[in-house]
Amino acid sequence: MEEIRLECLSKDFDGFVAVENVSLSIQSGELFSFLGPSGCGKTTLLRMIAGFEIPSTGRILIGNTDITDLPPYKRQVNTIFQNYSLFPHMTVFDNVAFGLRIRKSPKNEITKRVREMLSLVKMEDQANKFPEQISGGQKQRVAIARALINQPKVLLLDEPLAALDLKLRQHMLIELMNIHDAVGITFIYVTHDQGEAMSISDRVAVMNYGNIIQEGPPDDIYERPNSVFSAYFIGETNLISGEVIGIEDDYVQIRCPDGAGSSFNIDSTFHIQPTLGQELTVSLRPEKIAISRNKPRYQDDINILRGVIEDILYLGSHTQYIVNVGALKIRVFSQHKRVYFDDTALDWEEPVWLFWHDTDSWLINEIPENVLTVDEISEGGINHYQRSIKRPAIK
Amino acid sequence: MKNLPSANPNYALQLATERRKNFTSWILTAPALLWLIFFFLVPYLIVIIYSFLTADIYDVKFEFTLDAYRQSFTPAYMHTFYLSFRLALLTTLLCLLLGFPVAYYIARAKDKVKNNLLIFIIIPFWTNLIIRIFSWRIFLAYNGVLNNLLLGLGLISKPLEIMRTDLAVILVMVYVYLPYMILPLYSVLEKLDWTLLNAAMDLGANEVKSFFRITLPLSKEGIFAGGLLVFIPALGSYLIPQLVGNQRSLYLGQVITYKVKNIPRNWPMASALSLTLLLIVALFLLLIYFLYRRGKFRKQV
Repeated sequence: MEEIRLECLSKDFDGFVAVENVSLSIQSGELFSFLGPSGCGKTTLLRMIAGFEIPSTGRILIGNTDITDLPPYKRQVNTIFQNYSLFPHMTVFDNVAFGLRIRKSPKNEITKRVREMLSLVKMEDQANKFPEQISGGQKQRVAIARALINQPKVLLLDEPLAALDLKLRQHMLIELMNIHDAVGITFIYVTHDQGEAMSISDRVAVMNYGNIIQEGPPDDIYERPNSVFSAYFIGETNLISGEVIGIEDDYVQIRCPDGAGSSFNIDSTFHIQPTLGQELTVSLRPEKIAISRNKPRYQDDINILRGVIEDILYLGSHTQYIVNVGALKIRVFSQHKRVYFDDTALDWEEPVWLFWHDTDSWLINEIPENVLTVDEISEGGINHYQRSIKRPAIK
Repeated sequence: MKNLPSANPNYALQLATERRKNFTSWILTAPALLWLIFFFLVPYLIVIIYSFLTADIYDVKFEFTLDAYRQSFTPAYMHTFYLSFRLALLTTLLCLLLGFPVAYYIARAKDKVKNNLLIFIIIPFWTNLIIRIFSWRIFLAYNGVLNNLLLGLGLISKPLEIMRTDLAVILVMVYVYLPYMILPLYSVLEKLDWTLLNAAMDLGANEVKSFFRITLPLSKEGIFAGGLLVFIPALGSYLIPQLVGNQRSLYLGQVITYKVKNIPRNWPMASALSLTLLLIVALFLLLIYFLYRRGKFRKQV
């Protein structure tokens, strides 16, 4: 098994740059995801690997073989299409057998291999049905069997779960992971759903406007985002910008204007080399912040802020509070655990204390172009955020 | 008990409404029905009756005989059937071969271009058929446009004799019936999911294999529909062979017309030939229908 390498890959459609200078290598047997909002170029990237688009520049290699200019039918790459694209005039069996028949494999071998594949995806007893007679999840399984029977070096999955309902999606996700473990083929998975990408992938590449913003294991991207976009696209976060006013051995102190004329200081561990007076952004995940009406005991490495609750959203597994600190809105997720302290009685307009450990925040060397208002946050801030980013200039 | 229709106080009202609905639908269909009875069914009955009568020079004698049918199955007339069949089949095949790429191209064109191209297919219908055939005669004639052009270019030294040959008949037949093939083909190809072709190529099929394994089977319905729309009228065509063909190879439509028109007349013969043609077409349709049904049936197992 060989790794896949993308070298300086670009694609432009009549002046619209869909993919811009992407270089990447994917290990063999890896489950790799491209994650990004719609229009970020992830599907174009996938179609270039499949052979449906010819890159404007750059190369695609599997092992040492350059496949950039090979037509789709000469590549050892198979795709699961978003709408499955099962052949409506063929039975499940014939659909799965398609690739082998094209290659003119012997008849008894075809029968044997199709049966094997159908049992791998648990569809043995549906072999004689037509696509219109089976459910969405079953179509998905047939599509997987139809692709894997060709023993591709890489399996490409283009938003494979987008057409399924939530429960089935979760179920198929686990199934996909099992199939991946069973066949050991490299999977390249394209999705806009960060939950899917996080749970299924060995590594994720976050994309926006044709560029890879960040690449790494899911926990790495979540805990250590390298940019405002990564921090905002994966999960939810509070972005607080400020000026570095003190650099100590194991933390920096940042003065953050609260938008109402005054400011507060917060401490954070750091991984970048900040200089005094530098403006940067702290990404603080809502679940890392504790909220209480009682002032916490002072500790060295704990940040403590005073705020007033503006909004409470009960979400079952946790409650989301929107707390005003000056004019700044900070979101806090709090789980309902009475063993720590009783926060169930917190009420609107109530003054509260917010506190978190200084290692729980992450510094990003970038300032968001505009501050998100609370309305934007509650309407799904990412869309508004995206709009505020300038498009890369069209060449 | 309450749910029984008779126990329902509204039942009588419902019945009345239904009766009124039935009455209304009868009234609405009556004109069409009467039209069909008087102008289609009755003439057909007359044709059927005539086919069993004895021929006379101008008219018929009301004496029952099967002579007309007996004659229909003599070698001379079977040859006419064969010629007409061959012409219809050839026209259908040529229309399919020429029409498929056109329909495919239109179906894959951008929406804006698509409508314009479709208009080009439909425009010929705006001109009367006879006028179009006559313009073909001018085009193909011995001193016609085509010959003058080829002579002028020096490609030929002596005018081609195309007019009044079977070639001219085929050319004009294909020209006239092509739109009837293109339109049904277009309508199935337009609905074809192109990602299926991507999927086929992804699974190792090159363009030719994807065409024969995916595009062609999925346009079967259009091929059937277009085939019928061309084949059936072509089988009985009269105008085109009469206007551009020769009198050595007569087609069925011409023979039937002559039996009615030329003296001595033989109306029973004309009737019998028409009915035999009808029978053949009906059998042909039934065959197609069963082939189609079998495909459908297999799909449901």
